[in-house]
Amino acid sequence: MAVVARAGGDGGGSSSEVQWCFLQVKGAIDEDVAEADIISTVEFNYTGDLLATGDKGGRVVIFQREQETKSRPLSRGEYNVYSTFQSHEPEFDYLKSLEIEEKINKIRWLPQQNAAHFLLSTNDKTIKLWKISERDKRAEGYNLKDEDGRLREPFRVTELRVPTLKPMDLMVEASPRRTFANAHTYHINSISVNSDYATYLSADDLRINLWHLEVTNRSFNIVDIKPANMEELTEVITAAEFHPHHCNVFVYSSSKGTIRLCDMRSAALCDQHAKFFEEPEDPSSRSFFSEIISSISDVKFSHSGRYMMTRDYLSVKVWDINMENRPVETYQVHEYLRSKLCSLYENDCIFDKFECCWNGSDSTIMTGSYNNFFRTFERNMPRDTTLEASRESSKPRAILKPRKVCTTGKRKKDEITVDSLDFNKKILHTAWHPMENIIAVAATNNLYLFQEKVN
Amino acid sequence: MLGRGLKRKLSDYEESMAGLSSAFDSSRGLPYPLKRQLVLNMCLTKLQTYKMLVEPNLHRSVLIANTVRQIQEEMRQESNQQPVNICPGIAPASHSYTGLESPGMSLQLPSGVGQQESHCCELRSVEDPIENSLLIVSDDDMSSAISSILKDLDFVEDISPPTCLVSTGDDQPKFPENTGLKLEDDRQDLKGAECVFGSFEISNSTSYLKDLAIDDIFEDIDTSMYDSDFCCPPLMPPRSPSLATEEPLKTFPSCNSSSANNIQICRTDLSELDHIMEILVGS
Repeated sequence: MAVVARAGGDGGGSSSEVQWCFLQVKGAIDEDVAEADIISTVEFNYTGDLLATGDKGGRVVIFQREQETKSRPLSRGEYNVYSTFQSHEPEFDYLKSLEIEEKINKIRWLPQQNAAHFLLSTNDKTIKLWKISERDKRAEGYNLKDEDGRLREPFRVTELRVPTLKPMDLMVEASPRRTFANAHTYHINSISVNSDYATYLSADDLRINLWHLEVTNRSFNIVDIKPANMEELTEVITAAEFHPHHCNVFVYSSSKGTIRLCDMRSAALCDQHAKFFEEPEDPSSRSFFSEIISSISDVKFSHSGRYMMTRDYLSVKVWDINMENRPVETYQVHEYLRSKLCSLYENDCIFDKFECCWNGSDSTIMTGSYNNFFRTFERNMPRDTTLEASRESSKPRAILKPRKVCTTGKRKKDEITVDSLDFNKKILHTAWHPMENIIAVAATNNLYLFQEKVN
Repeated sequence: MLGRGLKRKLSDYEESMAGLSSAFDSSRGLPYPLKRQLVLNMCLTKLQTYKMLVEPNLHRSVLIANTVRQIQEEMRQESNQQPVNICPGIAPASHSYTGLESPGMSLQLPSGVGQQESHCCELRSVEDPIENSLLIVSDDDMSSAISSILKDLDFVEDISPPTCLVSTGDDQPKFPENTGLKLEDDRQDLKGAECVFGSFEISNSTSYLKDLAIDDIFEDIDTSMYDSDFCCPPLMPPRSPSLATEEPLKTFPSCNSSSANNIQICRTDLSELDHIMEILVGS
């Protein structure tokens, strides 16, 4: 299934195939899924100890990895709920008479600089900076108030004492520290923290804004593709990301399947791109839906910063940022859907926005598909695997069995035909631990965690 | 006229669409023009649905609008290359059409697949004459529909530094760039067409269309004219009358054909597309 045109290796990958085991599943088992519980974003923090999810109801749930005990050094660290808070509420824009959805579109962590953790979460219009801090001590022995908080009678204060800190049950508090609002007319689809850890960008359909984390009342518009006449609009921004190391470089993808790399040093308004990435269209595969399926739904730089990956409807492409005319690798995610495009257009599935992610060493990439399938592609081999996130294979440490979709007439045992795929079970959001082989896969309202099998 | 009956028909239409899309995918025997028409109908239905939403999805709207434009462009190129297919109802006179392929007309043969397309077009033109001409005529309807949808997506209060706010105060609908090219081709077509269609009541049609350009299309009028009045939707009052008359000239000859039979065929075949166009231009 993987089609690779690779020039040169990029360091040795493991020769043996990674086998995935079920670790945990979070979320309700009910057949009836509440709309608000549908997970809309998944993100590990920089160390991988924290995993944040956002849902359509505007809530953020953070899981923390349990410390491995010394007695069992190879024990698999489980992720348990660390904090839950309501990040965004539904709003009403009175000026335009529009409801603003509270759905969390993206979460991005900030690198940790002190004991507290910070993350940015955004809905369609507003970005918020949240501080998540632990409290495991409380002060006792105040002079002016009792233990329960009531003010003490002045005549009862007979001596002066210094309050002491006593341990208490761990309490994790999430508090909003900044609210970045009123800078986007259109729906925000991406946020990306800069490598300077002081600024970040937010992108909507037509514009990209640059913010300073400390300043909420001003943002700088760095990309604006809105035409003077909206009737001439033919292209929108679909995703944007800062380069992981060069704080002046960012990329944004479009609905026409192109990626533009911009350098903020060249001009204040980066409408002129520094690089333009586009693969020439294959005329033999042209159809009515060619443009729609070429729309890029996600763009991610590799950890090294040398490559970037884009996801369109049917494939994942890896680009070398030094080569603009074509990707270095192309992987077909579910090519069997190419002959079903009309039906998928009719039921709007063709507009589904799948995300993609790199593993820590950039040797493997992962993306989701339908029927709760997700796929990993090992770049060095090349080797690809199709796995399923399902309750059936959710026994502790159960090894995930690779799945196969039958594309020819004869269906083998355990294969599944294209027509029996469930297009309501789509895996749009996946995340890979920054250093280890632990992956988080969001299947509607459930979060599956899988870990590499350790012998 | 736009009562509950019409709404029911629309939902039937949607149901039939669902069946057709799987037919599109599974059947390789569907002729290309029919596939294209199916996709076009789906696009227009979607755009219309989005128009009714309070806040349509800009990304999807743009993608669908681009698909419609692409199909439009394809059909325009086809119609420019084959003006003869426009009036198949006048079968006896078809032989004289070869006269049209004279120096005045630029015949650009489509490449590769296009050969097959032109063949299909000819077939279709015999079976479904009105539908063929329908497609050509409704181009500008679609252009204006797309323009109005995209214009609506432009919120009144845009908070970014205004680069150009001309569009908000400008009532003149501006067509996509390729429309200009089409108009030129249309004028060329018109010159050739006039020679052939001179025998028909063009002058009457012209004046009727001028009126229609301004009047409400929902007025109760003669049904034979009604079948073709989608050619001239009321959305385009600022357009010069000459443009309004050029397009429907291609259809009038077929609609006004002496054969009553053709009109019957017209009406049944037109009914479904008719509803879509009415809703698009009338709402």
